Amino acid sequence: MDVRNDMLKRVKNRREGYSLDQAFYTDPEYFRLDLDLIWYRDWLFVGHDCEVARAGSFFTVQVGDYPVVILRDSDGQIRAFHNSCRHRGSRVCTEHRGSSARLVCPYHQWTYDLDGSLLYARQMAEDFDKSQFSLKPVACESVAGYIFICLAEKPAEFAPFAQLMQPYFAPHRLTEAKVAFESTIIEKGNWKLVWENNRECYHCAGNHPELCKTYPEAPTVTGVAGGDEDPDLTEHWTRLEAGGLPSRFRMHESGQFRACRTPLIGDAVSYTISGRPAVQERLSAEVSQERIGALLLFHYPTTWNHVLGDHAVTFRVLPISATETAVTTKWLVNKDAVEGVDYDLDTLTHVWMQTNDQDRRIVEENAFGIKSPAYEPGPYSELHEGGVMQFVDWYCRSVETRLTEGGKSLRSVA
Amino acid sequence: MTVKPDLAAGLALPFASTAPWKGSSARLEVIAVIDETADVKTFVFRPEGGGWFSYKPGQFVTLELPVPGGPVWRTYTLSSTPTRPFSASVTVKAQAGSIGTRWMFDTLVPGMTLTASGPAGHFSHWNHLAERYLFLSAGSGITPMMSMLRAMADTAPASDVAFLTCGRTPGDLLFRDELEMLARQMPNLTLGLMVERKSAADRWHGLTGRIDMARLKFLVRDYRQREIFCCGPEPFMAGVRLMLEDAGFDMRHYHEESFGAPSKAQTQPQTKVQTQSQAQATSAEATSEAKTVTDDATAGRVPSQVQGAAPTAAPPAQDGTAPAGYAGDGMQLQFSRSDVTTTCAPGTTLLEAARAAAVRIPAACEAGMCGTCKVKKTAGDVAMEHNGGITDEEIGDGYVLACCARPLGPVTLEV
Ligand code: FES
Ligand code: FES
Ligand SMILES: [Fe+2]
Repeated sequence: MDVRNDMLKRVKNRREGYSLDQAFYTDPEYFRLDLDLIWYRDWLFVGHDCEVARAGSFFTVQVGDYPVVILRDSDGQIRAFHNSCRHRGSRVCTEHRGSSARLVCPYHQWTYDLDGSLLYARQMAEDFDKSQFSLKPVACESVAGYIFICLAEKPAEFAPFAQLMQPYFAPHRLTEAKVAFESTIIEKGNWKLVWENNRECYHCAGNHPELCKTYPEAPTVTGVAGGDEDPDLTEHWTRLEAGGLPSRFRMHESGQFRACRTPLIGDAVSYTISGRPAVQERLSAEVSQERIGALLLFHYPTTWNHVLGDHAVTFRVLPISATETAVTTKWLVNKDAVEGVDYDLDTLTHVWMQTNDQDRRIVEENAFGIKSPAYEPGPYSELHEGGVMQFVDWYCRSVETRLTEGGKSLRSVA
Repeated sequence: MTVKPDLAAGLALPFASTAPWKGSSARLEVIAVIDETADVKTFVFRPEGGGWFSYKPGQFVTLELPVPGGPVWRTYTLSSTPTRPFSASVTVKAQAGSIGTRWMFDTLVPGMTLTASGPAGHFSHWNHLAERYLFLSAGSGITPMMSMLRAMADTAPASDVAFLTCGRTPGDLLFRDELEMLARQMPNLTLGLMVERKSAADRWHGLTGRIDMARLKFLVRDYRQREIFCCGPEPFMAGVRLMLEDAGFDMRHYHEESFGAPSKAQTQPQTKVQTQSQAQATSAEATSEAKTVTDDATAGRVPSQVQGAAPTAAPPAQDGTAPAGYAGDGMQLQFSRSDVTTTCAPGTTLLEAARAAAVRIPAACEAGMCGTCKVKKTAGDVAMEHNGGITDEEIGDGYVLACCARPLGPVTLEV
């Protein structure tokens, strides 16, 4: 049977509250459909404004088959382009990141301006019309220091996300921060497994001794129930919002993104073993309240985040194959903070380096077991795995809607 | 010298019986030499054996000048108009220290013939037809403008064109009488003559000073609606560019002709066989010789036209003044990784010098645009006129673009 129908049938017949059929986690053809239906259509978090601080700074990402370069142009605008030369298609930017006055294709040196226009192509015919061969743009938006791209020809509206997240994040000034450290790990598991693991803390007690010193396992915190009945949470929100920091749980009706501020355990203010700040300088002078906890954000399918008073940890998920996923973690600190003086890199990164590695092993074991012919979908915990169910629901709803649209229309699922 | 009878008789073979002149196959015969100003002459040519010229106003030709010691090649814009096809002319200024142009001044008389190639170049209003034009020129940069204006006068006298030209003194303004005559014949020609300073010898009622926004607006209020053509020494064009960019002018409507003799004009294939000292002599001269050079002359190695940012390759010193640190026998260049040391004449680009010394630096645009020729300079000073191919940060880190950097003294490169 045609794989689209196969996927549609399985999405429709799935048992709610249960994990998905094996094919969703292992089948290369399902993976291709995930790319088409999700990754090539949704807004994807790729990196931060502060990573392209100056005109000409760029970084590259690979989304499925699409190499993309993100840069800041000479007017200060952040732009994204398909990283494929208009001559014979070579990748133009071959480095992960860098800085260049112009984008010069390494193959025959076709030279593009930072706005993508082709400036120079050596010894082409006299009537060669350069204006016809600009780099192809990719939709690109930046909000509160987060850069998103969308590969769809007609991207869904970005505004609803910007409106929800901007008030929560803008005070933290991530636009001006700096990346103190970055790590990319490959988890040998389907991207949905990476997410499912992220969306619950059912596994935390048994796996994350370091994180559990500061991060509460309470499902109200990680989950999507809203947390209104949790007195600790509501008190936390009331206090912070009185001080001008939007904090209450807010999720978009599509279920694709939510923001929420969560308290840390006891007096902890940062993800360190001691709970004390890892960075002497505050991340943002604008946020001076004590014990703000962690500002959480997820946006499917690419990012989850924790912003604290002294630093921020941001995560980017990119699929590589049906059974491999790249997870990039960045630690952002005040741009004036000096390593070795204001912070110690080890202390800053220790908890999440450990946690990531633990999660990697969990995901890989999970993937391993799912490959067994004996695997069958199992039930999620209603109490602890509400977040997972919400993610799986979002995923199933998205693919179902897009599979039944028939053509390749690119509507948002919202 | 006796004048050949057909020169005196003004004999021109009829159009239909001849083909247009082709640079590669026919020589040019001088038919007149006209004094324009104290140091400027116009040389008028016809195709040897008869024929006519077909070109776009604003294009140039390259002349092979058989100076003692071996030929040199010089590129000159045609000041004539293709609408009078039986002859073509170049208008040339002789400056101190020039070799080629000095030879023309001293030697070239009617009846002599020269080998030439061309016409070529893209700097022509025929390539950018517009309703209104602004021609901005300084010094000998007036020649392509004159060619375009004369063509307009012959074929479209109602053309709306503002013609601004700047000279040092009133006596240096070229074609002044003709411009005033054309202003009477062309109802929509606005003439703006400007001099840097008045002179005792000539009466002057026009503007003095250098072109700036105030003067430009005074002379051509609607400059924004015009297709702008600019030609003159590089500092002049750079000033104009900056002024227009600052004013937010849409630079897609700005075109310039590089004037000021980048030494790469010498990079005709012939240069390859020159000895090192010959190459030095010619490129040294290139910095001192008044002529119009288009980048198109360099075998298509640079874009035919760069809007808003011409491939500038002006030598560090105009008017033949040797840059500081130049002792007279060349700049010392050291290529540290290749373990090669060489000398080059001032005005030579690092890339040219590297090539002459068989040191390989990758290059593509050779116009300071693509950054391919970026090399690290570990010692010495250079003058660099790039076109955005390098960031300030890279410059701060000691990098230079070899194609458009010229040594100002001894220089060491990490190649
Ligand atoms: S493929 Fe990029 S220049 Fe040829
Ligand atoms: S070769 Fe392109 S900048 Fe020098
Ligand atoms: Fe975990």
